[in-house]
Amino acid sequence: MKEIEIKFTCNGKEVTASAPPSLTLLKFLRERLGLTGAKAGCERGECGACTVLLDGKPVDSCLVLAVQVQGRRVETIEGLAEGEKLHPLQEAFVAETAIQCGYCTPGMIMAAKGLLEDKPDPTPEEIRRGLSGNLCRCTGYTKIFTAVEAAAKKMRGA
Amino acid sequence: MKEYKYIGKKVPRIDGRDKVTGRTRYSTDLYPEGMLWAKVKWSDRVHARIVRLDVEKARSHPGVAAVLTHEDIPGHNGFGIITPNWPVLCSDRVRYRGDALALVAAETEEAAEEALALIEVDYEDLPILDTPEESLASGAFAIHEHGNVMHEMELFKGDAGRALEESELVLEKTYVTQFMEHAYIETEGGVGTYDEDTGVITIWCGDQYAFRDQLQIARSMDWDPLKIRVIGSPTGGAFGGKDEISVQIHLALLAVHTRRPVRLHWTREESIRVGPKRHAMTTTFRIGASRDGTLRAIDVNVVANTGAYDTIAAPVLNLALESSPGPYRYGDAHFKGRAVYTNNAMGGEFRGFGAPQVVFGVEQELDRLAEELGMDPIELRLKNAVELGDISALGHSLRTSAGVKETLEVARDTELWRERDRIKAELDRSHPRRRHGVGVASEWHAVGLGVGIPDFSNIILEFDAAGNITMRTGAIEIGQGNLTAYAQMLAEALEYDIDKIDVIHGDTFESPDSGTVTASRSVLINGNAILDAVAKLKPILLERASRLLEVPAGELAYGNGVVSCAARPERSVSLAQICADAVEAGAPLKVTGAAIMAVADKDFGEGLPHNYYTYITQLALIGVDVETGEVSLLRGISIPEMGRAINIHGVEGQSEGGLVMGQGYTLYEEVVVREGQFLNTGFTTYILPTSLDVPEQETIIVEKPERTGPYGAKGVGEAVTVPITPAIANAIFDAVGVRMDSLPITPEKVLAALKEKR
Repeated sequence: MKEIEIKFTCNGKEVTASAPPSLTLLKFLRERLGLTGAKAGCERGECGACTVLLDGKPVDSCLVLAVQVQGRRVETIEGLAEGEKLHPLQEAFVAETAIQCGYCTPGMIMAAKGLLEDKPDPTPEEIRRGLSGNLCRCTGYTKIFTAVEAAAKKMRGA
Repeated sequence: MKEYKYIGKKVPRIDGRDKVTGRTRYSTDLYPEGMLWAKVKWSDRVHARIVRLDVEKARSHPGVAAVLTHEDIPGHNGFGIITPNWPVLCSDRVRYRGDALALVAAETEEAAEEALALIEVDYEDLPILDTPEESLASGAFAIHEHGNVMHEMELFKGDAGRALEESELVLEKTYVTQFMEHAYIETEGGVGTYDEDTGVITIWCGDQYAFRDQLQIARSMDWDPLKIRVIGSPTGGAFGGKDEISVQIHLALLAVHTRRPVRLHWTREESIRVGPKRHAMTTTFRIGASRDGTLRAIDVNVVANTGAYDTIAAPVLNLALESSPGPYRYGDAHFKGRAVYTNNAMGGEFRGFGAPQVVFGVEQELDRLAEELGMDPIELRLKNAVELGDISALGHSLRTSAGVKETLEVARDTELWRERDRIKAELDRSHPRRRHGVGVASEWHAVGLGVGIPDFSNIILEFDAAGNITMRTGAIEIGQGNLTAYAQMLAEALEYDIDKIDVIHGDTFESPDSGTVTASRSVLINGNAILDAVAKLKPILLERASRLLEVPAGELAYGNGVVSCAARPERSVSLAQICADAVEAGAPLKVTGAAIMAVADKDFGEGLPHNYYTYITQLALIGVDVETGEVSLLRGISIPEMGRAINIHGVEGQSEGGLVMGQGYTLYEEVVVREGQFLNTGFTTYILPTSLDVPEQETIIVEKPERTGPYGAKGVGEAVTVPITPAIANAIFDAVGVRMDSLPITPEKVLAALKEKR
């Protein structure tokens, strides 16, 4: 299949690449760019494990075509820490043990980042709603809520 | 209790940093250079003879490197943890919709999919047996040569029939449970390679027991197991569902055949259709009691729908029987179970291992009895609760810590239980369409594999010149946090910095065999192996220090990473210095540790009974919408007694996740299979609890250290998902007065029950 050239920003860096028109952003990130943090849990928009931010908003990267990110800004879990310095969400997920198998974790953290960019001081209900597109089978979500609250507080400097 | 530095603390996970940065490499994250994409041709029919299987067109499709069938299997065409009768690739017959017929490897995923469509199969349909009742009917078509009863088990203690006749009160009821999907977020998958120079097959596949996978691959490949490397850790969730083979043998076949790396990753639909489920079971209880609330006798009859092949169904049924009386004393007991083949979903291993199905029933029977007697449900349970030294309902002695009473007493003292009438009344007022209820249930959950089943662990500790420790364990990190618990126990035992410990896990070439990560066993057995290794290390350290310090070993003692002499404190040498000296001498320090699981004082055969149990009580606060029938779980409290908690966050995490998994089992989840066809193979129709559904949660840890467990620990991974189901059902009765006897408790079932009650 003929490939189409795309230029976009990925984790702050300009990327020029090509992709066939049918290739999803998830597969493009994993197979072409080696960014395997976004996971393929269902590839039909049901589990959220592939969540990345597109222009700051959480999307299921399995439901976005690679060619649709032309000229846009993509953020994945790999771009979140600054070198060895973890993002407050990452720190909070470790500190609160909001992780078990970890397969949903990158998507969950990206969804939480999108939520906090929109609502820096979310209510418990808003946290639940903001993460409702991301399934976790291990943790029962409780420690994830705590971690997101703690990170939000830290990010507000409170 | 002794205060420790690492034990019983909230120690951050040692794999946490890698998991939050996306650095953790799961087997499904690997895309090796030059790899092929694999796909499986699954059966199009439910139950049929294969008349013709023609793969020639698929083989000549552009981009296809190989199409393999049963003719390409060098060794045994079957796998299975206990009885390997599940075909790797079917030759003459298919028995369910998850049977595999052929494998394709191609240059692209698209080419592999196109090739699948070119495989031609002619079938001759056979009768579809959808339920155990159909399979057990006289004259039913035989799914296997030996008939349709896969396994039967019967246990007696005393004369339950007579005791029931003599009981003042006898209750009888049948409970029905459904197939449940593990729904780990990482579906089954991985990569296989073959190195022609060394003859080594390497399989990366998130699993629960790399060494058993190695054996199963070797058996089918007719290959030297020492030339099969399985890397099974880490795993993106397992819950029992990845203890059995999934893609491993298929990857090995394709890698050897094509001499190229091969990647196979099941879709969600494949994961739901093909892999084992929690068995659907039908259980009838008869329980006899005295008017004062003393339990006298229990009779249990379980029929399990085990699907087409064996995998590990017999031990699951056995544990269902062992779990079925609950943690209570009965004078007489009779347990009977049958696991029956069908052409339905595959029944297999799933967290809880047969217990959730029966505990759903027995804990409602306890509540029915309390209702009948006008007793408080917790008081009735306390009156009959087992204690250390009791003889169990099965007839063996309870010789390890048994804290169900303590968990019930804690439950009784919670605000939710004490103030339940007020709490319910307030909620009823604020939510006029809902009626609220509080329910309680308890469980004992076996830890370990049981009498007669090899149950062991090996650990290796290696020390480098800087005093860093590499701990090698065959255990798999499936998410539960066991590696962190191991590091904590080693750091505690050696009085050493946990950051100096690195763990190599779940790799048949790099770690010893530590047994399977199932049966809530891995902290107990691997912890004991670690303590054994440390016990062996200490005399070696003293002896080495004695030479370095020129002080007799008898005058030396080890503590806090240093060997020193009490009489001459200036004479001391650190563990790191001893390690450096050993490395310089060309013989780095290395010790091994081993442990064998202690077993019960009776042997009822086939893994029954067990020596260790986790005890737990869970409480549920629910609301029932009386117009829609919808049940909301508002609060959940878990009170586990697991001996000693190694990592508080770890136990809480297990408990919270287990409770929510139990919530899903109770209210939403069912793999719907009709006439052998799978009707819900995605998460829009197979409903998991989301962040919007989960209750407010609390975990109250009851500690009762077990003297034969490491630091007093037993295990906690499974019990936490079990009694919440009957706790919710008991709460529904408390709220609206209807008894729900079939899972899941959907709004439709609740409405029907409410209608019938009116």
